[in-house]
Amino acid sequence: MHRASLALLAMLWAPAPGLAHDGASHRPSPAEAAPGAEALPFPVDIRPDFDLTDQSGNRVTEADFAGRPIALFFGYANCEAICSVALPTIAEAVTRLGPEGARITPVMITVDPERDTPEALARSLPRYHPRLVGLTGSPEALAQARDAFQVEATEVARDAAGEPIFAHGGFIYLIGEMGEVRSVLPPILGPERVAELMRRHLLVN
Amino acid sequence: MNRRLGMAFALLAGAFSGGAAIAEGDPVSVTGEVIDTWCYFSGVMGGPEAVVGSAHHTCAMWCAAGGIPVGVLADDGTVYMVMKWQGDPAIADGTAMLDAQSHRITAKGTLYVRDGINYLMVAEIAADDGIVNRSHEDFGVVPPFAIPEL
Repeated sequence: MHRASLALLAMLWAPAPGLAHDGASHRPSPAEAAPGAEALPFPVDIRPDFDLTDQSGNRVTEADFAGRPIALFFGYANCEAICSVALPTIAEAVTRLGPEGARITPVMITVDPERDTPEALARSLPRYHPRLVGLTGSPEALAQARDAFQVEATEVARDAAGEPIFAHGGFIYLIGEMGEVRSVLPPILGPERVAELMRRHLLVN
Repeated sequence: MNRRLGMAFALLAGAFSGGAAIAEGDPVSVTGEVIDTWCYFSGVMGGPEAVVGSAHHTCAMWCAAGGIPVGVLADDGTVYMVMKWQGDPAIADGTAMLDAQSHRITAKGTLYVRDGINYLMVAEIAADDGIVNRSHEDFGVVPPFAIPEL
């Protein structure tokens, strides 16, 4: 379908870093977010709420991102549709922001835990960005994460190789350093525009 | 000015609109065609007239199922990103909109605009005329590989 978009990024980077979960601190609720934090562009109640495992095998919850803005996407490593558009877009947008972009952590929560094990994510995600954090977990834990963002994911077909194809929400969530969702971007925006909106919503308070 | 350029200008205008205020919704009634926004804006599958209607229906179904945001291309060329679809609790759930892909509809709901992006929360499909844009008569199947060979 959109295999051509895979050519958007063919870079080889260093292995992604892991995130350690200290289990000690928890983020303030969005209601406690920093002054100046913007509300979502439309009234829905979504917020980070997950307890998953990253590609280094570390337990990661939303609390581990306290103090760091994130760009979150739900997808899977073998996706040849929207993921092959959104993940390179997020990666290029963060790169375009230069040193400022280093404050933003790109994150993908998988919808395909059977194939996206920590080891598989560690192999596949660096092709998008060296700091892209991949999160996986049990079907129940991933369902909880999706529920928090009102995201659906369903296996809709099998490809010629017999591998599953998933339907899943395809928007990019910009989440502030206090855990508040500041914007939801359609992945059809170009990297330059996404970088601009990341700066506006994540880096300027 | 073609529709894609119009949207690009709208997005650009949003880029220079200053700080983003909290969006306030407006009740709207939008009449137009349900479209695959990626193929429409990216141009990767052809011009804007070829990636709407019956010519692009199969690809649009694949795209919606695969997470590509579904939009409504209104008669005036404005594109609305569908965030909620009547009766579906999820955000931008393409599978909930498969039955309406490429259809000409009238959607009633609430519009929120920020950063030049039109977020549409559809409360009700007031009219569904089905696929009325018979673009396959001019363009065939776009892209041809949208229908897999068996």
